[in-house]
Amino acid sequence: MRDWALRVENLSKWYGSVVACEDVSLEVGPGEALGIIGESGSGKSTVLRCVAGDVVASSGSVQVRDGAGAVCDLLELTPSQRRHLRVSALSILYQDPSEGLDLNITAGGNIAERLTAAGCRNFAALRSRARELLGRMDVDLGRMDDPVYSFSGGMRQRVQLAKAVANNPSVLLLDEPTTGLDASVAAGVLDLIRGVLEESRVTALVVSHDVSVVSILARRVIVMHQGRVVETGLTDQLLEDPQHPYSQQLVAASRG
Amino acid sequence: MPDQEPLLSVRGLRKEYVVHAIGRRVLALDDVDLEVSSGEHVVLIGPSGAGKSTLLRCVWRSCLPSSGEMLLCRADGQVVDLARLSDQEMSEVRDEDLGYVSQFLRSEPRRSVLDVVAKAARRGGMDGTEAVEASKTALSAARVAESLWDTYPVLLSGGEQQRVNLAAGTIRPPRLLLLDEPVSALDACNSEAVLSLVEGIAATGTVVFSIFHDMGVVRRLATRVVCIEEGRIVADGPPADVIARRGAA
Repeated sequence: MRDWALRVENLSKWYGSVVACEDVSLEVGPGEALGIIGESGSGKSTVLRCVAGDVVASSGSVQVRDGAGAVCDLLELTPSQRRHLRVSALSILYQDPSEGLDLNITAGGNIAERLTAAGCRNFAALRSRARELLGRMDVDLGRMDDPVYSFSGGMRQRVQLAKAVANNPSVLLLDEPTTGLDASVAAGVLDLIRGVLEESRVTALVVSHDVSVVSILARRVIVMHQGRVVETGLTDQLLEDPQHPYSQQLVAASRG
Repeated sequence: MPDQEPLLSVRGLRKEYVVHAIGRRVLALDDVDLEVSSGEHVVLIGPSGAGKSTLLRCVWRSCLPSSGEMLLCRADGQVVDLARLSDQEMSEVRDEDLGYVSQFLRSEPRRSVLDVVAKAARRGGMDGTEAVEASKTALSAARVAESLWDTYPVLLSGGEQQRVNLAAGTIRPPRLLLLDEPVSALDACNSEAVLSLVEGIAATGTVVFSIFHDMGVVRRLATRVVCIEEGRIVADGPPADVIARRGAA
Protein backbone atom coordinates (compact mmCIF):
# COMPACT_ATOMS: atom_id res chain seq x y z
CA MET A 1 0.00 0.00 0.00
CA ARG A 2 1.53 3.33 -0.95
CA ASP A 3 -0.32 5.33 1.66
CA TRP A 4 -0.43 3.46 4.98
CA ALA A 5 -0.87 4.89 8.46
CA LEU A 6 -0.52 1.64 10.41
CA ARG A 7 1.57 -1.29 9.27
CA VAL A 8 2.01 -4.62 11.03
CA GLU A 9 4.62 -7.02 9.64
CA ASN A 10 5.06 -10.67 10.56
CA LEU A 11 3.71 -10.16 14.05
CA SER A 12 3.92 -13.24 16.24
CA LYS A 13 3.17 -13.90 19.88
CA TRP A 14 3.66 -17.16 21.65
CA TYR A 15 3.32 -18.15 25.27
CA GLY A 16 5.75 -21.02 25.68
CA SER A 17 4.64 -23.56 23.10
CA VAL A 18 1.21 -21.98 22.63
CA VAL A 19 1.01 -19.79 19.55
CA ALA A 20 -1.44 -16.94 20.04
CA CYS A 21 -0.78 -15.34 16.66
CA GLU A 22 1.72 -16.08 13.98
CA ASP A 23 3.14 -14.13 11.08
CA VAL A 24 0.35 -11.58 10.94
CA SER A 25 0.79 -8.75 8.48
CA LEU A 26 -1.65 -5.97 7.68
CA GLU A 27 -1.79 -2.35 6.58
CA VAL A 28 -4.39 0.32 7.26
CA GLY A 29 -4.60 3.51 5.24
CA PRO A 30 -5.04 6.95 6.81
CA GLY A 31 -8.66 7.44 7.83
CA GLU A 32 -9.50 3.84 7.01
CA ALA A 33 -11.02 1.18 9.28
CA LEU A 34 -9.81 -2.42 8.91
CA GLY A 35 -11.81 -5.19 10.53
CA ILE A 36 -10.37 -8.36 12.02
CA ILE A 37 -12.84 -11.20 12.42
CA GLY A 38 -12.50 -14.70 13.77
CA GLU A 39 -13.78 -16.87 16.58
CA SER A 40 -12.58 -16.72 20.17
CA GLY A 41 -9.00 -17.92 20.26
CA SER A 42 -8.26 -16.95 16.67
CA GLY A 43 -5.61 -14.48 17.82
CA LYS A 44 -7.36 -11.30 16.78
CA SER A 45 -7.34 -9.69 20.22
CA THR A 46 -3.70 -10.70 20.66
CA VAL A 47 -2.85 -8.79 17.49
CA LEU A 48 -4.68 -5.73 18.79
CA ARG A 49 -3.02 -5.90 22.17
CA CYS A 50 0.42 -6.23 20.59
CA VAL A 51 -0.30 -3.13 18.49
CA ALA A 52 -1.45 -1.34 21.64
CA GLY A 53 1.56 -2.47 23.59
CA ASP A 54 -0.50 -4.17 26.31
CA VAL A 55 1.16 -7.42 25.27
CA VAL A 56 4.82 -7.71 24.30
CA ALA A 57 5.10 -9.25 20.84
CA SER A 58 7.48 -12.17 20.42
CA SER A 59 8.58 -11.00 16.96
CA GLY A 60 7.61 -8.74 14.09
CA SER A 61 7.04 -5.01 13.79
CA VAL A 62 4.28 -2.47 14.25
CA GLN A 63 4.72 0.93 12.64
CA VAL A 64 2.63 4.09 12.51
CA ARG A 65 3.22 6.84 10.01
CA ASP A 66 1.97 10.36 10.52
CA GLY A 67 0.76 12.91 7.98
CA ALA A 68 4.27 14.26 7.54
CA GLY A 69 5.60 10.81 6.71
CA ALA A 70 7.49 10.22 9.96
CA VAL A 71 7.52 6.54 10.88
CA CYS A 72 7.50 5.29 14.44
CA ASP A 73 8.17 1.66 15.33
CA LEU A 74 5.89 0.96 18.27
CA LEU A 75 7.70 -2.12 19.45
CA GLU A 76 10.94 -0.15 19.82
CA LEU A 77 9.49 2.47 22.18
CA THR A 78 10.59 2.87 25.78
CA PRO A 79 7.79 2.50 28.35
CA SER A 80 7.68 6.24 28.85
CA GLN A 81 7.49 6.90 25.11
CA ARG A 82 4.70 4.37 24.87
CA ARG A 83 2.75 6.01 27.70
CA HIS A 84 3.05 9.31 25.88
CA LEU A 85 1.82 7.71 22.67
CA ARG A 86 -1.17 6.23 24.48
CA VAL A 87 -2.39 9.61 25.66
CA SER A 88 -1.63 11.52 22.51
CA ALA A 89 -1.89 9.47 19.35
CA LEU A 90 -3.14 5.95 19.94
CA SER A 91 -6.26 4.98 21.88
CA ILE A 92 -7.97 1.72 22.65
CA LEU A 93 -11.58 0.96 23.34
CA TYR A 94 -11.64 -2.24 25.39
CA GLN A 95 -14.46 -4.76 25.41
CA ASP A 96 -14.63 -4.33 29.18
CA PRO A 97 -14.95 -0.63 29.95
CA SER A 98 -13.31 -1.14 33.34
CA GLU A 99 -10.02 -1.77 31.52
CA GLY A 100 -10.12 1.67 29.94
CA LEU A 101 -11.68 3.60 32.80
CA ASP A 102 -11.14 4.17 36.49
CA LEU A 103 -14.51 3.10 37.85
CA ASN A 104 -13.94 4.93 41.11
CA ILE A 105 -13.74 8.37 39.60
CA THR A 106 -16.40 10.37 37.81
CA ALA A 107 -17.23 10.29 34.11
CA GLY A 108 -15.93 13.84 33.77
CA GLY A 109 -12.90 12.95 35.83
CA ASN A 110 -11.98 10.04 33.56
CA ILE A 111 -11.94 12.31 30.55
CA ALA A 112 -10.09 15.05 32.40
CA GLU A 113 -7.46 12.51 33.38
CA ARG A 114 -6.80 11.73 29.72
CA LEU A 115 -6.68 15.41 28.77
CA THR A 116 -4.43 16.30 31.71
CA ALA A 117 -2.01 13.52 30.85
CA ALA A 118 -1.68 15.09 27.41
CA GLY A 119 -0.88 18.46 28.93
CA CYS A 120 -4.14 20.35 29.38
CA ARG A 121 -4.24 22.09 32.77
CA ASN A 122 -6.99 24.64 32.47
CA PHE A 123 -9.92 23.46 34.59
CA ALA A 124 -12.55 25.30 32.60
CA ALA A 125 -11.24 23.92 29.33
CA LEU A 126 -11.14 20.40 30.76
CA ARG A 127 -14.69 20.68 31.99
CA SER A 128 -16.00 22.09 28.76
CA ARG A 129 -14.29 19.50 26.62
CA ALA A 130 -15.54 16.70 28.89
CA ARG A 131 -19.09 18.01 28.58
CA GLU A 132 -18.78 18.22 24.83
CA LEU A 133 -17.49 14.67 24.52
CA LEU A 134 -19.95 13.10 26.94
CA GLY A 135 -22.79 14.94 25.24
CA ARG A 136 -21.60 13.72 21.88
CA MET A 137 -21.70 10.15 23.23
CA ASP A 138 -25.24 10.57 24.56
CA VAL A 139 -24.20 10.35 28.19
CA ASP A 140 -26.59 12.19 30.49
CA LEU A 141 -24.63 15.32 31.45
CA GLY A 142 -26.44 15.38 34.76
CA ARG A 143 -24.38 12.31 35.66
CA MET A 144 -21.05 13.78 34.66
CA ASP A 145 -19.96 13.97 38.29
CA ASP A 146 -21.14 10.48 39.24
CA PRO A 147 -18.55 7.74 39.68
CA VAL A 148 -18.45 5.39 36.72
CA TYR A 149 -19.08 2.28 38.86
CA SER A 150 -22.65 3.55 39.16
CA PHE A 151 -23.17 3.45 35.37
CA SER A 152 -24.70 0.64 33.34
CA GLY A 153 -22.52 -1.33 30.91
CA GLY A 154 -23.72 0.64 27.91
CA MET A 155 -23.12 3.98 29.58
CA ARG A 156 -19.67 2.89 30.74
CA GLN A 157 -18.83 2.02 27.15
CA ARG A 158 -19.95 5.46 26.01
CA VAL A 159 -17.76 7.11 28.64
CA GLN A 160 -14.86 4.93 27.52
CA LEU A 161 -15.45 6.00 23.92
CA ALA A 162 -15.55 9.66 24.94
CA LYS A 163 -12.28 9.23 26.80
CA ALA A 164 -10.68 7.33 23.91
CA VAL A 165 -11.32 10.15 21.45
CA ALA A 166 -10.68 13.01 23.88
CA ASN A 167 -7.25 13.78 22.48
CA ASN A 168 -8.16 13.26 18.84
CA PRO A 169 -5.95 10.21 18.42
CA SER A 170 -4.70 9.36 14.97
CA VAL A 171 -5.09 5.62 15.61
CA LEU A 172 -8.06 4.00 17.37
CA LEU A 173 -8.07 0.32 18.28
CA LEU A 174 -11.43 -1.27 19.08
CA ASP A 175 -11.47 -4.64 20.82
CA GLU A 176 -14.91 -6.24 20.64
CA PRO A 177 -16.51 -2.83 21.23
CA THR A 178 -20.08 -4.06 21.62
CA THR A 179 -19.63 -7.65 22.79
CA GLY A 180 -21.41 -8.16 26.10
CA LEU A 181 -23.85 -5.32 25.55
CA ASP A 182 -27.42 -6.22 24.86
CA ALA A 183 -28.65 -5.72 21.34
CA SER A 184 -30.32 -2.32 21.42
CA VAL A 185 -27.59 -0.86 23.62
CA ALA A 186 -24.95 -2.34 21.32
CA ALA A 187 -26.64 -0.75 18.31
CA GLY A 188 -26.46 2.69 19.91
CA VAL A 189 -22.77 2.31 20.75
CA LEU A 190 -22.04 0.97 17.28
CA ASP A 191 -23.72 3.96 15.66
CA LEU A 192 -21.64 6.32 17.81
CA ILE A 193 -18.46 4.54 16.81
CA ARG A 194 -19.53 4.66 13.17
CA GLY A 195 -20.05 8.42 13.50
CA VAL A 196 -16.67 8.91 15.17
CA LEU A 197 -14.86 6.94 12.47
CA GLU A 198 -16.55 8.86 9.67
CA GLU A 199 -16.20 12.34 11.11
CA SER A 200 -12.74 12.19 12.56
CA ARG A 201 -10.97 10.25 9.82
CA VAL A 202 -9.08 8.35 12.49
CA THR A 203 -7.22 5.19 11.38
CA ALA A 204 -8.90 2.24 13.03
CA LEU A 205 -8.56 -1.48 13.69
CA VAL A 206 -11.82 -3.13 14.68
CA VAL A 207 -11.67 -6.58 16.21
CA SER A 208 -14.90 -8.53 16.58
CA HIS A 209 -16.20 -12.06 16.39
CA ASP A 210 -19.46 -10.45 15.27
CA VAL A 211 -19.34 -10.12 11.51
CA SER A 212 -22.16 -7.57 11.46
CA VAL A 213 -20.14 -5.15 13.64
CA VAL A 214 -17.25 -5.26 11.23
CA SER A 215 -19.53 -4.95 8.21
CA ILE A 216 -20.91 -1.69 9.59
CA LEU A 217 -17.58 -0.17 10.60
CA ALA A 218 -14.98 -1.47 8.18
CA ARG A 219 -14.67 -1.47 4.42
CA ARG A 220 -11.92 -4.09 4.43
CA VAL A 221 -11.56 -7.09 6.62
CA ILE A 222 -9.08 -9.83 7.50
CA VAL A 223 -10.11 -13.25 8.77
CA MET A 224 -8.04 -14.97 11.44
CA HIS A 225 -8.13 -18.62 12.38
CA GLN A 226 -5.86 -20.44 14.80
CA GLY A 227 -3.50 -17.50 15.05
CA ARG A 228 -3.05 -16.90 11.33
CA VAL A 229 -4.57 -14.66 8.68
CA VAL A 230 -6.51 -16.95 6.33
CA GLU A 231 -8.22 -14.44 4.08
CA THR A 232 -8.48 -10.72 3.37
CA GLY A 233 -10.90 -8.76 1.22
CA LEU A 234 -13.35 -5.95 0.81
CA THR A 235 -16.04 -6.53 3.43
CA ASP A 236 -18.91 -6.93 0.98
CA GLN A 237 -16.89 -9.40 -1.08
CA LEU A 238 -15.97 -11.44 1.98
CA LEU A 239 -19.60 -11.62 3.03
CA GLU A 240 -20.92 -12.48 -0.43
CA ASP A 241 -18.13 -14.67 -1.74
CA PRO A 242 -15.85 -15.98 1.03
CA GLN A 243 -13.12 -18.24 -0.34
CA HIS A 244 -11.39 -19.98 2.58
CA PRO A 245 -13.30 -22.85 4.21
CA TYR A 246 -13.10 -21.17 7.63
CA SER A 247 -14.31 -17.83 6.26
CA GLN A 248 -17.25 -19.62 4.68
CA GLN A 249 -18.12 -21.20 8.03
CA LEU A 250 -17.88 -17.86 9.79
CA VAL A 251 -20.03 -16.03 7.27
CA ALA A 252 -22.62 -18.83 7.07
CA ALA A 253 -22.90 -18.87 10.86
CA SER A 254 -23.44 -15.12 10.97
CA ARG A 255 -26.45 -15.46 8.72
CA GLY A 256 -28.12 -17.99 11.00
CA MET B 1 -14.60 9.26 -34.05
CA PRO B 2 -11.06 8.29 -32.99
CA ASP B 3 -10.37 4.66 -32.18
CA GLN B 4 -10.55 4.31 -28.44
CA GLU B 5 -9.60 1.78 -25.84
CA PRO B 6 -12.80 0.07 -24.67
CA LEU B 7 -13.78 1.29 -21.21
CA LEU B 8 -14.11 -2.27 -19.92
CA SER B 9 -12.53 -5.31 -21.47
CA VAL B 10 -13.38 -8.69 -19.94
CA ARG B 11 -11.15 -11.54 -21.17
CA GLY B 12 -11.41 -15.23 -20.42
CA LEU B 13 -13.42 -14.59 -17.27
CA ARG B 14 -14.21 -17.69 -15.31
CA LYS B 15 -16.03 -17.93 -11.98
CA GLU B 16 -16.51 -21.15 -10.07
CA TYR B 17 -18.26 -20.97 -6.73
CA VAL B 18 -16.89 -23.49 -4.25
CA VAL B 19 -18.75 -24.41 -1.07
CA HIS B 20 -16.25 -26.32 1.02
CA ALA B 21 -18.60 -27.63 3.68
CA ILE B 22 -20.55 -29.70 1.18
CA GLY B 23 -17.80 -30.15 -1.40
CA ARG B 24 -19.83 -28.53 -4.11
CA ARG B 25 -18.60 -26.53 -7.12
CA VAL B 26 -20.76 -24.50 -9.45
CA LEU B 27 -19.32 -23.03 -12.63
CA ALA B 28 -21.13 -19.72 -13.01
CA LEU B 29 -19.08 -18.09 -15.78
CA ASP B 30 -17.04 -19.93 -18.38
CA ASP B 31 -14.52 -18.11 -20.56
CA VAL B 32 -16.44 -14.87 -20.97
CA ASP B 33 -15.02 -12.27 -23.39
CA LEU B 34 -16.77 -8.95 -23.60
CA GLU B 35 -16.01 -5.29 -24.27
CA VAL B 36 -18.00 -2.26 -23.26
CA SER B 37 -17.07 1.06 -24.83
CA SER B 38 -17.76 4.74 -24.52
CA GLY B 39 -21.28 5.67 -25.63
CA GLU B 40 -22.68 2.19 -25.08
CA HIS B 41 -25.46 0.80 -22.95
CA VAL B 42 -24.89 -2.94 -22.98
CA VAL B 43 -27.73 -5.04 -21.61
CA LEU B 44 -27.23 -8.62 -20.48
CA ILE B 45 -30.15 -10.98 -21.06
CA GLY B 46 -30.55 -14.68 -20.45
CA PRO B 47 -32.37 -17.17 -18.26
CA SER B 48 -32.21 -17.06 -14.45
CA GLY B 49 -29.02 -18.62 -13.19
CA ALA B 50 -27.18 -17.93 -16.44
CA GLY B 51 -24.46 -15.90 -14.72
CA LYS B 52 -25.57 -12.34 -15.49
CA SER B 53 -25.50 -11.07 -11.90
CA THR B 54 -22.25 -12.94 -11.31
CA LEU B 55 -20.65 -11.06 -14.19
CA LEU B 56 -21.65 -7.66 -12.83
CA ARG B 57 -20.59 -8.67 -9.33
CA CYS B 58 -17.18 -9.74 -10.65
CA VAL B 59 -16.67 -6.29 -12.21
CA TRP B 60 -17.70 -4.63 -8.92
CA ARG B 61 -15.59 -7.25 -7.19
CA SER B 62 -18.15 -8.25 -4.63
CA CYS B 63 -17.41 -11.63 -6.16
CA LEU B 64 -13.87 -12.86 -6.91
CA PRO B 65 -13.21 -14.17 -10.43
CA SER B 66 -11.54 -17.60 -10.51
CA SER B 67 -9.45 -16.58 -13.55
CA GLY B 68 -9.39 -14.12 -16.40
CA GLU B 69 -9.01 -10.35 -16.68
CA MET B 70 -11.27 -7.35 -16.33
CA LEU B 71 -9.41 -4.38 -17.76
CA LEU B 72 -10.78 -0.94 -16.95
CA CYS B 73 -9.52 2.17 -18.69
CA ARG B 74 -9.40 4.87 -16.03
CA ALA B 75 -9.91 8.60 -16.52
CA ASP B 76 -6.18 9.25 -16.79
CA GLY B 77 -5.83 6.62 -19.51
CA GLN B 78 -4.23 4.05 -17.23
CA VAL B 79 -5.55 0.52 -17.70
CA VAL B 80 -6.00 -1.60 -14.57
CA ASP B 81 -7.06 -5.22 -14.13
CA LEU B 82 -9.92 -5.19 -11.64
CA ALA B 83 -9.28 -8.86 -10.93
CA ARG B 84 -5.79 -8.09 -9.67
CA LEU B 85 -6.08 -4.78 -7.87
CA SER B 86 -5.43 -4.68 -4.15
CA ASP B 87 -8.51 -4.19 -1.98
CA GLN B 88 -7.51 -0.58 -1.30
CA GLU B 89 -7.04 0.16 -5.00
CA MET B 90 -10.37 -1.53 -5.86
CA SER B 91 -12.05 0.57 -3.20
CA GLU B 92 -10.71 3.73 -4.88
CA VAL B 93 -11.84 2.56 -8.32
CA ARG B 94 -15.33 1.94 -6.94
CA ASP B 95 -15.45 5.43 -5.44
CA GLU B 96 -14.03 7.21 -8.47
CA ASP B 97 -15.13 5.33 -11.57
CA LEU B 98 -17.89 2.85 -10.87
CA GLY B 99 -21.48 2.72 -9.71
CA TYR B 100 -23.41 -0.41 -8.79
CA VAL B 101 -27.08 -0.93 -8.04
CA SER B 102 -27.82 -4.48 -7.01
CA GLN B 103 -31.16 -6.18 -7.38
CA PHE B 104 -30.71 -7.34 -3.81
CA LEU B 105 -31.86 -4.71 -1.40
CA ARG B 106 -29.26 -4.29 1.29
CA SER B 107 -29.22 -1.26 3.50
CA GLU B 108 -26.99 -0.28 6.35
CA PRO B 109 -29.10 -0.38 9.50
CA ARG B 110 -30.06 2.84 11.26
CA ARG B 111 -28.87 5.24 8.61
CA SER B 112 -31.48 7.59 7.21
CA VAL B 113 -32.37 7.60 3.52
CA LEU B 114 -30.75 11.00 3.06
CA ASP B 115 -27.59 9.89 4.83
CA VAL B 116 -27.33 6.68 2.77
CA VAL B 117 -27.16 8.82 -0.36
CA ALA B 118 -25.00 11.52 1.26
CA LYS B 119 -22.48 8.91 2.38
CA ALA B 120 -22.14 7.76 -1.24
CA ALA B 121 -21.68 11.38 -2.25
CA ARG B 122 -18.94 11.91 0.33
CA ARG B 123 -17.20 8.72 -0.81
CA GLY B 124 -17.28 10.18 -4.28
CA GLY B 125 -15.42 13.25 -3.03
CA MET B 126 -18.13 15.79 -2.17
CA ASP B 127 -17.86 17.68 1.08
CA GLY B 128 -20.59 17.62 3.73
CA THR B 129 -22.92 20.38 2.56
CA GLU B 130 -22.50 19.67 -1.12
CA ALA B 131 -23.18 15.98 -0.43
CA VAL B 132 -26.45 16.72 1.35
CA GLU B 133 -27.70 19.05 -1.38
CA ALA B 134 -26.75 16.64 -4.16
CA SER B 135 -28.50 13.85 -2.27
CA LYS B 136 -31.74 15.79 -2.06
CA THR B 137 -31.62 16.43 -5.78
CA ALA B 138 -30.88 12.78 -6.53
CA LEU B 139 -33.68 11.53 -4.28
CA SER B 140 -36.15 13.91 -5.88
CA ALA B 141 -35.10 12.77 -9.32
CA ALA B 142 -35.63 9.17 -8.20
CA ARG B 143 -39.10 10.17 -6.96
CA VAL B 144 -38.42 9.33 -3.32
CA ALA B 145 -40.82 11.46 -1.34
CA GLU B 146 -39.23 14.09 0.90
CA SER B 147 -41.25 12.81 3.84
CA LEU B 148 -39.18 9.61 3.68
CA TRP B 149 -35.76 11.23 3.68
CA ASP B 150 -35.24 11.07 7.43
CA THR B 151 -36.52 7.51 7.86
CA TYR B 152 -34.57 4.28 7.78
CA PRO B 153 -34.66 2.36 4.47
CA VAL B 154 -35.90 -0.73 6.26
CA LEU B 155 -39.24 1.03 6.73
CA LEU B 156 -39.62 1.64 3.00
CA SER B 157 -41.24 -0.60 0.42
CA GLY B 158 -38.99 -2.67 -1.84
CA GLY B 159 -39.55 -0.28 -4.69
CA GLU B 160 -38.74 2.75 -2.57
CA GLN B 161 -35.56 1.11 -1.27
CA GLN B 162 -34.53 0.32 -4.84
CA ARG B 163 -34.93 3.96 -5.81
CA VAL B 164 -32.83 5.04 -2.82
CA ASN B 165 -30.12 2.59 -3.89
CA LEU B 166 -30.26 3.99 -7.38
CA ALA B 167 -29.89 7.55 -6.14
CA ALA B 168 -26.87 6.46 -4.06
CA GLY B 169 -25.31 4.52 -6.93
CA THR B 170 -25.57 7.43 -9.37
CA ILE B 171 -25.00 10.39 -7.07
CA ARG B 172 -21.71 11.19 -8.66
CA PRO B 173 -22.22 10.10 -12.28
CA PRO B 174 -19.80 7.17 -12.61
CA ARG B 175 -17.80 6.37 -15.74
CA LEU B 176 -19.25 2.86 -15.71
CA LEU B 177 -22.62 2.14 -14.13
CA LEU B 178 -23.55 -1.46 -13.30
CA LEU B 179 -27.30 -1.99 -12.91
CA ASP B 180 -28.77 -5.32 -11.87
CA GLU B 181 -32.51 -5.30 -12.57
CA PRO B 182 -33.07 -1.81 -11.14
CA VAL B 183 -36.79 -1.72 -11.93
CA SER B 184 -37.80 -5.26 -11.03
CA ALA B 185 -39.62 -4.18 -7.87
CA LEU B 186 -41.16 -1.01 -9.30
CA ASP B 187 -44.66 -0.21 -10.52
CA ALA B 188 -45.10 1.24 -14.00
CA CYS B 189 -44.97 4.87 -12.93
CA ASN B 190 -41.82 4.59 -10.82
CA SER B 191 -40.24 2.27 -13.32
CA GLU B 192 -40.69 4.98 -15.97
CA ALA B 193 -39.02 7.55 -13.71
CA VAL B 194 -36.03 5.28 -13.17
CA LEU B 195 -35.69 4.40 -16.83
CA SER B 196 -35.71 8.10 -17.73
CA LEU B 197 -33.05 8.67 -15.09
CA VAL B 198 -30.91 5.91 -16.62
CA GLU B 199 -31.36 7.39 -20.10
CA GLY B 200 -30.35 10.78 -18.73
CA ILE B 201 -27.22 9.41 -17.08
CA ALA B 202 -26.22 7.58 -20.24
CA ALA B 203 -26.74 10.75 -22.25
CA THR B 204 -24.21 12.61 -20.11
CA GLY B 205 -21.50 10.10 -20.91
CA THR B 206 -21.83 7.34 -18.33
CA VAL B 207 -21.35 3.92 -19.89
CA VAL B 208 -24.02 1.53 -18.67
CA PHE B 209 -23.77 -2.25 -18.27
CA SER B 210 -27.06 -3.63 -17.09
CA ILE B 211 -29.43 -6.55 -16.64
CA PHE B 212 -33.11 -6.30 -17.51
CA HIS B 213 -35.74 -8.96 -18.07
CA ASP B 214 -38.35 -6.88 -19.86
CA MET B 215 -37.59 -6.96 -23.61
CA GLY B 216 -39.48 -3.71 -24.13
CA VAL B 217 -37.11 -1.98 -21.72
CA VAL B 218 -34.14 -3.69 -23.35
CA ARG B 219 -35.17 -2.42 -26.79
CA ARG B 220 -35.61 1.05 -25.40
CA LEU B 221 -32.29 1.36 -23.55
CA ALA B 222 -29.75 -0.92 -25.15
CA THR B 223 -27.24 0.04 -27.79
CA ARG B 224 -26.09 -3.59 -27.71
CA VAL B 225 -27.42 -6.81 -26.19
CA VAL B 226 -25.39 -9.74 -24.89
CA CYS B 227 -27.11 -13.03 -24.16
CA ILE B 228 -25.64 -15.37 -21.55
CA GLU B 229 -26.71 -18.97 -21.07
CA GLU B 230 -25.13 -21.41 -18.62
CA GLY B 231 -22.18 -19.10 -18.01
CA ARG B 232 -21.28 -18.55 -21.66
CA ILE B 233 -21.99 -15.75 -24.09
CA VAL B 234 -24.19 -17.12 -26.84
CA ALA B 235 -25.01 -13.88 -28.66
CA ASP B 236 -23.60 -10.35 -28.76
CA GLY B 237 -24.90 -7.68 -31.11
CA PRO B 238 -27.60 -5.19 -32.05
CA PRO B 239 -30.67 -5.39 -29.80
CA ALA B 240 -33.16 -6.32 -32.53
CA ASP B 241 -30.98 -9.20 -33.75
CA VAL B 242 -30.15 -10.70 -30.39
CA ILE B 243 -33.66 -10.37 -29.02
CA ALA B 244 -35.11 -11.96 -32.14
CA ARG B 245 -32.76 -14.90 -31.76
CA ARG B 246 -32.58 -15.26 -27.98
CA GLY B 247 -35.06 -12.91 -26.36
CA ALA B 248 -37.70 -15.50 -25.79
CA ALA B 249 -35.41 -17.50 -23.48
